[in-house]
Amino acid sequence: MRRWRRLFAPTVAGLVLLVGWEVGVRASGLPAFVLPAPSQVARTAVDVAPLLGGHVVTTLTEAGLGLLVGAVVGLLLAVLIAAFPWVQDTVYPLVTLTQTVPTVVLAPLLILWAGFGLLPKVVLVALTAFFPVLVAAVTAMAAVDAEHAEMVAGLGGTRRHQFWLVQLPASVPGALGGLRVAATYAIGAAVVAEYLAGQSGLGVLVQRSRKGYAVDQILVAVVLVAVLTGLLFLLVDGLARLATPWQRPSTPSRPGRTPA
Amino acid sequence: MTTSPSTEAVVAPGDVTPAPALEVVGLTVTFPAVGRRGTDVVALRDVDLRVAAGEFVAVVGPSGCGKSTLLRVLAGLTPAGATVDARAVTTPVDASGARATAWMPQRDGLLPWRRAWSNALVGARIAGVDRAVADARARALFDAFGLAGFERAWPHELSGGMRQRLALLRTCLPGRPVLLLDEPFGALDAITRRRMNGWLAGLDLAGHGRPDGAGRAVVLVTHDVDEALLLADRVVVLSDRPGRVVLDLRVPRGDPTAARQVLLEALDPQGGTSASGGA
Repeated sequence: MRRWRRLFAPTVAGLVLLVGWEVGVRASGLPAFVLPAPSQVARTAVDVAPLLGGHVVTTLTEAGLGLLVGAVVGLLLAVLIAAFPWVQDTVYPLVTLTQTVPTVVLAPLLILWAGFGLLPKVVLVALTAFFPVLVAAVTAMAAVDAEHAEMVAGLGGTRRHQFWLVQLPASVPGALGGLRVAATYAIGAAVVAEYLAGQSGLGVLVQRSRKGYAVDQILVAVVLVAVLTGLLFLLVDGLARLATPWQRPSTPSRPGRTPA
Repeated sequence: MTTSPSTEAVVAPGDVTPAPALEVVGLTVTFPAVGRRGTDVVALRDVDLRVAAGEFVAVVGPSGCGKSTLLRVLAGLTPAGATVDARAVTTPVDASGARATAWMPQRDGLLPWRRAWSNALVGARIAGVDRAVADARARALFDAFGLAGFERAWPHELSGGMRQRLALLRTCLPGRPVLLLDEPFGALDAITRRRMNGWLAGLDLAGHGRPDGAGRAVVLVTHDVDEALLLADRVVVLSDRPGRVVLDLRVPRGDPTAARQVLLEALDPQGGTSASGGA
């Protein structure tokens, strides 16, 4: 009953909103360059569908590569911070400080330095993605279970053993949690970078549509960004589950939990 | 065995005690005061303990008497902030000069991201045991410890008793000459615990049957007198804090009733002769 309501209620609410939007636009006679009706957005989506493929591939490439680079850099930096206290003392405050600058603000600089191609977008996505991975991994490594550390020490383990046997594996679930967060930012960061310069990508599509007052095309792009972000999140979430099989309960332990 | 005790243990006929594999003399451990007006807490005072290779010694005492602290000092795990003072602490070292003791915590300490087999090999990996040798030992021990068939299980899929057995297996596998067991079954329910102790008694961890002192020195910390009598060759009783050795009793073969009475009286001098358990 509850599960049914959980699916049903938001679906109905969404449909009501869409119908309200459709009726509102038709009744008020708003011009399409201000707010097109959802039916028109859908028609435009079908019309421009052949053009969308290239844009989607560009944006996904930027977001995927940026996420990968960001995750690797974040994890490596977290490992260095955990392994060498002096790295923690010198680098970590600086890295935290850099986060006071929203990465989006850096986009024009990156384009000046790295050109109009793929590189500045990947760098921007990586800059956005590495921080949540880094913070989550550092936190997880610092919060290592004392029980595990003592077990290793009690068997004669050195600092090296502590790191490889306990700290590093203990940081994996945390780092993956950070990666999930980063995944939700990745497409958005790529699109913003594309606003400023580029030949292809959903951000480029949005900018071109804006210049032509094609609000329906902008809305198509918005929906696509949302869908792609959702898919990217699901992909990262699935990979994270595969990478941490010990966190999968062998029997469902929480009653009423909807199967994913 | 990849380890060699620093002290040669020789079993001589008669009452001659062999050279100890493990020795502390005059051990005093002090914890700093907690809070502003507290005073320093002396956990252990002037404790002597000698354990020979092939000997199983149980250390019993009331809660908070410092018996776990004693075991930690032997394992090289100095409690944070504590001051350790001793005239001598002798523990065996391995070929590379590292301490060759294996300590098992009260809680199993299993790594949740390693399957049972892989958890079992943690101790061997730390001790630098060759992988093929470790695998062969693990195969034999998984059978002996009743864990055969659970090699690929995650720790959270095992029962409490199995987790403790796996933790003990991990501790035994490197073949260290000294085993330090801190209430290995203390967290289990009474029935499982009784069963585990029966099984452990049959396992002969110290290796009594082995010739020329090839056995291990085993120190077991417990608050359970019956557990101590069942498993150990010798029982050392610590007093209330500050812990001092008040009795060092060789467990007689045969009927332990008399020994049990002596132990209970040593544990609870005020309690007189009442035979109600000394927890």
